[in-house]
Amino acid sequence: MAQESLLVSAFYVLIFTALLVTYRVLRGPTLPDRIVGLNTITTKVVVIIAVVSVIRREYYLIDLAIVLLMVNSVGGLILAKYMERRAGHD
Amino acid sequence: MIEVFLMLFGEAVMVFGALGILRFPDVYTRLHAASKCDTGGAMGIILALILIMDAPAVVRAKFLVLAFLIAMINPMVSHAIARGAYKYGVKPKVVVDMYAWDNP
Repeated sequence: MAQESLLVSAFYVLIFTALLVTYRVLRGPTLPDRIVGLNTITTKVVVIIAVVSVIRREYYLIDLAIVLLMVNSVGGLILAKYMERRAGHD
Repeated sequence: MIEVFLMLFGEAVMVFGALGILRFPDVYTRLHAASKCDTGGAMGIILALILIMDAPAVVRAKFLVLAFLIAMINPMVSHAIARGAYKYGVKPKVVVDMYAWDNP
C-alpha cells in the first residue's frame, strides 16, 4: 500500500532530522543554541508520535502528543526566563 | 493525491530546517530556521495525516487541535528564546541591530 510506505518514510525522515539537530544540542557553542536545538527536537518528537499513532491505528497517542507540546511550551518559556535572570553573571 | 504533496512538502521543510540549524552562523539565524521551518513542516505533515487516515471525526478534530496548538505555541516560544538570548548577552553578527536602537 502506497500510503503506508509514505507514512513509514516520513517516520524515518523525522528520525534522521532529529539526529542531525542532536549535534547542535551536544556541541552548541552557547546556551541559547542548545535551547533552540531542544525546542526543535521536541516539536519533531510530537510529529513522530502523531505519525506513529496513524501507522499503528492507536489514536489515544494523539492526546500524549498534545500534552507533550504543552509541556514543551512551558519548558521553553521557563528556560527563556532563566536566561534573562542569568544576564550579566557570566 | 494532495496529501502526498503535503507530506513531501513537510518532509522537505523539516530537512532544510535541520540543515539551517546545523549550518547557520548565529543564534538568531538558527532560531529563524528552526521556528519558521519547523512550524510549517509540522503543520504540513499533520494536515497530510488528517487527509490520509480513515478514522472517526473526533480523531480528526484532535489532529486539528494539535495543528492549531503548534501554530500558536511554537512562534511564542521562539520569540521568548530570542528575547532571553539577547538579554543573556549573545550579540547578533549583523550590521543593523534594531533591538539595540530601540532599547538603549
